[in-house]
Amino acid sequence: MEQRRKERIDRGIKVRTDGLYAVMSWRELSYLTMPRMVLIVGLLILPFVMPSMYWQRVISIVCIYALLAVSFDLLAHFVGLVSLGGALFIGVGGYLSAIMNTSFGFPPLLAIPIATIAGAGICTLLLLPCLPLRGVYFAIVSLMYPLAMRRVIEALDILGGTDGIMGIDSFPNRWIEQYFVILMVLLFLFGVRRLVNLDLGLVLRAVKDNDQAVRASGMSITFYKAVAVFISSAMGCLGGACIVHIYMWSGMSLFALDFSILPIAATVIGGAGTLVGPVLGCLILVPVSELLREFGTLRIVFYSLILVGFIVFRSEGIMVYGQRKYHQIERWVKV
Amino acid sequence: MLEATGLMVFYENMLALNNVSIKCEDKQIVGVFGANSAGKSTLMYTISGIMEDIRKKEDMAGGERITVLGQVRFLGRDITDLKPSKRAREGIVLCPERRRIFPECSVMENLRIGAYLATSSQAKDTLEYVFNVYPTLERLQKRVGGFLSGGEQQMLAVGRALMAQPKLLLMDEPLLGLSPRIQAMLVRSTKEIRDEKGISIIVTEQYARPVLPIVDYAFILENGAAVLEGPRDEVLNNPDVRSAYFGVS
Repeated sequence: MEQRRKERIDRGIKVRTDGLYAVMSWRELSYLTMPRMVLIVGLLILPFVMPSMYWQRVISIVCIYALLAVSFDLLAHFVGLVSLGGALFIGVGGYLSAIMNTSFGFPPLLAIPIATIAGAGICTLLLLPCLPLRGVYFAIVSLMYPLAMRRVIEALDILGGTDGIMGIDSFPNRWIEQYFVILMVLLFLFGVRRLVNLDLGLVLRAVKDNDQAVRASGMSITFYKAVAVFISSAMGCLGGACIVHIYMWSGMSLFALDFSILPIAATVIGGAGTLVGPVLGCLILVPVSELLREFGTLRIVFYSLILVGFIVFRSEGIMVYGQRKYHQIERWVKV
Repeated sequence: MLEATGLMVFYENMLALNNVSIKCEDKQIVGVFGANSAGKSTLMYTISGIMEDIRKKEDMAGGERITVLGQVRFLGRDITDLKPSKRAREGIVLCPERRRIFPECSVMENLRIGAYLATSSQAKDTLEYVFNVYPTLERLQKRVGGFLSGGEQQMLAVGRALMAQPKLLLMDEPLLGLSPRIQAMLVRSTKEIRDEKGISIIVTEQYARPVLPIVDYAFILENGAAVLEGPRDEVLNNPDVRSAYFGVS
């Protein structure tokens, strides 16, 4: 009886370009750079090809979700902390930038970096107590803060209370707004990809795999987790700071749980642990949810169905699947 | 009783089992010996059907592609495509490597979880039997599984497997990391279980010396292939085996 099985092997060009030999030919060079170029160039020309100002605005929102999704992916799949704190990061960054702008008169392009760094510091301090623990505690605590923040703002009537802070300056013009967020997504995406392959990234991945072994190697897991939380909350706060200048308004809805949940969905769709996948997931999910607006309240139903479909039929995620098809070929071989 | 023919298992392109055929007759203890990476655990997973489960999960997550070829027959029936839970119902029960007891359940609870497939009178009888074979467990029945010592955990794992009323018990490295005294006790009890309950047992081990005396038939695996098989005495007197698996030169 002849038996056959399907074999999966790396493409020759992948093997050749794995080392430093990529410069040998244009074909090999383009094999390496094409996927990255498609993403970078694609994102850069997006504002031009969008038909209306409405859709250009959608692109900005996509980018803000993309920042959150990359931050979620970094924490969840490289450090092992499942974060539901997207709303916390957005809220803290947003309110800080709003206060900088309205109370101190900083222009947006100065207020945003300050809010990013300061916000990341505040978020890291808030989350610090649960960092030495393993398990669901981080998820619960990071989910509770945004809920609590909303009620605090409402009850004490601080920071503009239920009306929010109005009269925030917008970006100088919409092109600067677009390209600022797009460049930030690219910067953080490739920065984080680099980071996880540095020594620091190795330690973070080790913390995810076996934190006791990391402790036994004489490293403080709390410190490394705090560094990771700082980096990813900086991404979230940056997104929040941008969003208040895009909407020219900062309110309690910055702490809405959409900011926590959608990035997770995008990560599932795009491919967990790939970093690029979550960005792709946002590029799909946010426009889809805009298109579904016509269906009114049924929107959520369709949205959920798409998500469930993805999880059931392609739970590995688009990016993992795509990478495999790009790098490997399949063929039947005789056993 | 159990007959596996031409088993081949690929993890992606790596061959973990190469055309292995093993057989276990009624009320026999069959030993499978081999070094690390010889394919012992893969063989156990394939016979118990866990491999089917792993294959599906990897497939869902886009991980390694596992290919299983060959045929497993149990009591004259082809069970190659049966799910692990169905195989357990048929009577193939795996006592997994590294024990895998439920660390947050007490000893008693662990045993009762094992008895899921048994009727209540069977469960009662088997529980009595397990406490009879391993009196230590009776003393520890309120203790939480995770805080038992290695030897106690292994007894618990075997006990839990017995509660599922196996016809064929698969023991994957039962002596892993135990002291020689506990090893001897476990080996003795394994023989007792076979003699008293009439269960067939397949046991894998790296180091053959403690187990070989109770084994009726032995297979030697090397790099995924069964390189040698035979009744105990034949294997025992093979000079290659003596040097490789007994530490006798």
